[in-house]
Amino acid sequence: MSAARRRITGAYECARIQTLIAFTYRTDYLFNLVGLLLQVYLLRVVWTSVYGHRVSVAGVTLPTQIAYATLGTLQYWLFNPWGFSMIPERVRTGKIGVDLVRPVPFLHQIVSSQIGLTVGLAPFALVALPFAVLLGRAAGPASTGAGAVYLLSLVFGYLLTILLASIVGMMSFWTTEVSGTFMMYRMVSQFFSGALVPLWFMPGWLADLTHVLPFQATTYSPLAIYLGRVHGGALVTTLAVQVLWIGLAWLALRLTWARALHRVVVQGG
Amino acid sequence: MAPLITVENLAKEFRRPKRHTGTFGGIRTMFTRQYTVSRAVRDVTFEVAEGELVGYLGPNGAGKSTTIKMLTGILVPTSGTVEVAGTVPWRDRERNARNIGVVFGQRSQLWWDLPLRESLRLIGKMYDFSREKYHANVERFTELLDMAEFLDTPVRQLSLGQRMRGDLAAAMIYEPRVIYLDEPTVGLDVVAKERIRAFIEEENRDRGTTVILTTHDLDDVERLCRRIILIDHGTVLYDGDHAALRARYAPYRELVVTLADGATADIDLPGVEVTAAAAGSATLRFDPDRMSAADLIGAVLARHRVSDVAIVEPDLEGVIREIYAARSVRA
Repeated sequence: MSAARRRITGAYECARIQTLIAFTYRTDYLFNLVGLLLQVYLLRVVWTSVYGHRVSVAGVTLPTQIAYATLGTLQYWLFNPWGFSMIPERVRTGKIGVDLVRPVPFLHQIVSSQIGLTVGLAPFALVALPFAVLLGRAAGPASTGAGAVYLLSLVFGYLLTILLASIVGMMSFWTTEVSGTFMMYRMVSQFFSGALVPLWFMPGWLADLTHVLPFQATTYSPLAIYLGRVHGGALVTTLAVQVLWIGLAWLALRLTWARALHRVVVQGG
Repeated sequence: MAPLITVENLAKEFRRPKRHTGTFGGIRTMFTRQYTVSRAVRDVTFEVAEGELVGYLGPNGAGKSTTIKMLTGILVPTSGTVEVAGTVPWRDRERNARNIGVVFGQRSQLWWDLPLRESLRLIGKMYDFSREKYHANVERFTELLDMAEFLDTPVRQLSLGQRMRGDLAAAMIYEPRVIYLDEPTVGLDVVAKERIRAFIEEENRDRGTTVILTTHDLDDVERLCRRIILIDHGTVLYDGDHAALRARYAPYRELVVTLADGATADIDLPGVEVTAAAAGSATLRFDPDRMSAADLIGAVLARHRVSDVAIVEPDLEGVIREIYAARSVRA
């Protein structure tokens, strides 16, 4: 069998394992969903009160804003099931030793495991979606076309999220205790992705800064497409920027890993 | 025939930032440029032929696990070379991974949340192992390791002994040429140990699997290995037959006699040393090359009424203890 096929089989099995594990914790995730729906509901309450009787704020209508908040919350939940990366835990417990004797390259293991877990969680998100729309009374996609491009952009945003989180996760090879740094990364990435506050509500300089950082391509880009805020030529640009960031992040991750390999220390004997 | 494993002048250093204590010690540690270097493995050279079963021994912190981690490709050495089945482990991890199996006694490669059967199945698939052979092996291992009753139990619910058997099965299900066992019997009861030893012995004998075993349990070694490699402070102290080592250190045997009527032994024979004597019993140390056990027993019987005799071989443990204490091997 060819090396390429072997690699695909290996990565596929890594993904399947995580899907299976996600299902063994289904009760846990169901409870998790209740919290998620509550959050969606509260966001609606807050935004409705913020808008009061105004039809739109900064050119954004209430249903658009609520759709943004609802989808943003769901996306964030689905994209970051581990907190953000499986690497720190593997390094801290020394399980990295086991990972490195598998016939699947470590980077493939990380990416495919994350995808597998998300696949395992996707059914829960699908269950949540109608409730979220009902609870939040979110607007639908701007058009069928926008909905379709949204899905594509969502996949790009997802891949970029995994890659960025993995690069930061690699830090655990240098500094073993990293929880503080990771809290900060989470905060920064969540803020600049637009998951908390949409870019359109940010003051000019902050929005500019956000535009040159990769994080907006994970969350804001797909949402803006869904809501029809991006169309025509800008649509192509937005997707191209996402792909560019994915390429850069993959290169950076490979580079980091090549250096991290020499730093591997297996904790706990 | 070329050796399966070649290790030459292998060394591994770990660099850690120097820790500062006192005021702002933590912050100073973060920005420090000073490092402390510890050399876990200094200079290790050996070869292993296909089908050998080698005990890799040494006190805690001697560098055993670090060597194993370099052999398996987990760690990149500071200097020196390793080749396993024609592959440099850390350069071509994927190819190396297919040649080797690893059991770390201290940590499991099984998935905590999944039943053992599922873990084995996933490993078989990950290694792209033939389906028929996989099923045959599961059946064989279930029988040999007595796993039938816990095959469908999630790994987190297994006892240590069960988990270790599961780990052994997982490491060998895809029939690797080499298997590294890093303390596979640590913390196990006598029955579990015996089952694992019998399994290792059988796989080595019948399948020709090469085994590198690290352990602190010298019963494992005496039962399984002929050859041992003894290391301390990251260098090889001894490489060879453990029976020869024992003969070098303890070229004697002991005869324990129990005397009838609780008499005190009065034995004075050339070349025989009384190492312990009490009312009713005595321990006599003799060199089997100079006097046969039969002659000695005859001489004792001529002097005393004896109710029981036993010949005791010196144990490897005493020898190893002496070497560890001296930190060198006698010439």
